[in-house]
Amino acid sequence: MFKRIALLSLAAISLAALCILGIPLCGQVMAAEDAKVKALLKQADAYRLAMESGRVETEVRTFRAGVLDKTRLYAVYLKPGHRSLVLFRTATERGQKMLMLGDDYWLMMPSSQRPLRITAMQKLLGEASTGDVATMTWGEDYDGRQVGEETIDGVPCLKLDLVGQRKGVSYPRIVLYLAKKDHHPVQAELYVASDKLAKLARFQLGTVDGRKQVTVMTLIDHLQKERSTEVHYLSRTDKTLSDDYFNPAFLVRADLTQ
Amino acid sequence: MKRLRFTAPSCQRRLLHCLAGLLTASATLSAGAEDGAPDFGWTSRLVGEGHELRRDSPLAAGLGLTDFGRDRYRIEQELRGRVGPLSLLLTATESGQEGVKPSGRFVANEAYADLSLGGQRFSVGKKMLSGDVAYAFRPLDVLQRESRLQLAAPQLEGIPMLSWDNFTADGAWSLVIANPGHQRRGEAREDGSVALKIYRRVGAADLHGVLRNSNRYGLELGAAASMVPSDALELHASALLQRRGERQVPLADGASVAQLLSADSALVTEAIATPRKVLVGGTWTSAEGYSLLGEFWWDGTTPTPADWQRLVRQAARRAALSGLPGVPAAAVAGATAASTRMFDQGNLAQRGLLARLAWSEPGGAWSASVDVLKSLGDGGWTLTTALAWQGERLRFDAGLRRYGGPADAAYRLLPERAAAFVGISLAY
Repeated sequence: MFKRIALLSLAAISLAALCILGIPLCGQVMAAEDAKVKALLKQADAYRLAMESGRVETEVRTFRAGVLDKTRLYAVYLKPGHRSLVLFRTATERGQKMLMLGDDYWLMMPSSQRPLRITAMQKLLGEASTGDVATMTWGEDYDGRQVGEETIDGVPCLKLDLVGQRKGVSYPRIVLYLAKKDHHPVQAELYVASDKLAKLARFQLGTVDGRKQVTVMTLIDHLQKERSTEVHYLSRTDKTLSDDYFNPAFLVRADLTQ
Repeated sequence: MKRLRFTAPSCQRRLLHCLAGLLTASATLSAGAEDGAPDFGWTSRLVGEGHELRRDSPLAAGLGLTDFGRDRYRIEQELRGRVGPLSLLLTATESGQEGVKPSGRFVANEAYADLSLGGQRFSVGKKMLSGDVAYAFRPLDVLQRESRLQLAAPQLEGIPMLSWDNFTADGAWSLVIANPGHQRRGEAREDGSVALKIYRRVGAADLHGVLRNSNRYGLELGAAASMVPSDALELHASALLQRRGERQVPLADGASVAQLLSADSALVTEAIATPRKVLVGGTWTSAEGYSLLGEFWWDGTTPTPADWQRLVRQAARRAALSGLPGVPAAAVAGATAASTRMFDQGNLAQRGLLARLAWSEPGGAWSASVDVLKSLGDGGWTLTTALAWQGERLRFDAGLRRYGGPADAAYRLLPERAAAFVGISLAY
């Protein structure tokens, strides 16, 4: 009897010691993994937006069954703190603005001069999903881990499984493929809240001002099979707007060229 | 801004062609627009309308003297854009009405400058000032006083104004002087007034406040909120308290024959002490592109069901006078026509309910909607369906509306039974 109690006590002490010593060790390994993924995402982001704040001129071409359906132009102003202001520049949408502050969204229609608070669902349903245009970085919004390596279109890649850290991200889960050599984004599988694959994004690099940048992002729609979208990044400038411009009440003013 | 009216067709054509030339040049300039450079867009729009009149309406005797059911088409040329701090929205419109020569008008709907002086922001000129969080009825829209739920509505026309705007990280306030130099004018939107508008963002909610003073209504105090509790749901509420209000109502039942036959006294202005306006509503949107909007409101300045019933009784009394010795038919028609101005008041439902189901093709070109507005006080209703297609530059719209309800309900008394429209627009 005494022997059994002694054995049980030894087992309990061993388990406690494992917990006390093992959890921090495990935590350290996970923290190192997190830091590695964050560093990879930061490098990948630099190929899309190599500045903290700026203005990105974007042309979005939507295709239906491979035939060009529409072309839309947007000017996107980005600021740290998940702030982006999208100005719609195509003739049919002139005067429309969309403001995104973290998980909150507003749409301004020129016919009413009234900023409308809209839901994440309404934002997603907009033409060419302005979320795709206004989101230029992953590092601030996603955490994850490396889950393997794969070769995509002949490019050896690291495979990252990313999970959104904010409610308002357009895609709660992304499987991202970064080139092993320089960590530029090659492909991303974009999943909606139901964990269905919504779109497959492919990234095309070009040389802009002497450095490699993503110049085209092609989105192949998996929910509406005949649809695809090309997002062409026409220019990136480090123009910074004051905080006033990211106030919903400011949208009624016309201080910016449309 | 002064509105120009012109009727000679050659003059209209010349002006439209001049505008088209200016617009084309502007469109060319806009191609390379940067901040501060001219940036303009041009839209041509053609709207065709058809109306089914209610020939058995109690107000039928006056219909020939009103505009009900006469609109046939509208051709609009619209220039919208900006040069430096100046924003412009100009429209040239040719309208066709049944039995009337086409007429044209050129309007500066907006012409204003947004300025920054010494770190403060100002706006001056003519600008649209619509506001509020609601869709069908907007208690807080105390400056623009936009007529809501119009079928194929033309562009809004702004209000001459001067504003001083201040913005903080999560809030803003604006001091607005609307229609400077005006006292009380023919319509409330033309009255001179001073208003303070306040905005504050608190988490997932927007809070709005307004305080306005005008000769007609005295002090008006309003508040509104809009919040997004989930990815698919938006909720909003709006309320306004006025020091005094007014509405156009028919003469008292004991009116004399002379009063009944006078177009000038067909309606009287009734003063209302401290009226209130309240609205609550919400929108739910699905991932498939469907959205459902529901709103309920109370408008203490709208004619009551008893007022509409009195309008019917007086129309019947006028009809009974018709043909009697010494009663000119023109007087009966004129007074009856004048009484239809009761429909010009923005909101016809004192207690209203709107349900709107809409669908937009996700990322696509098509959209459609059906909405039902029910007046809970008198049982009147409107049913509206609409369809739209948006292409690269071309847009197509079509819609149909029917009015109905019990015989003495406001929407049933409208001299129109139904209206339909088709619209096509081309943007450059």
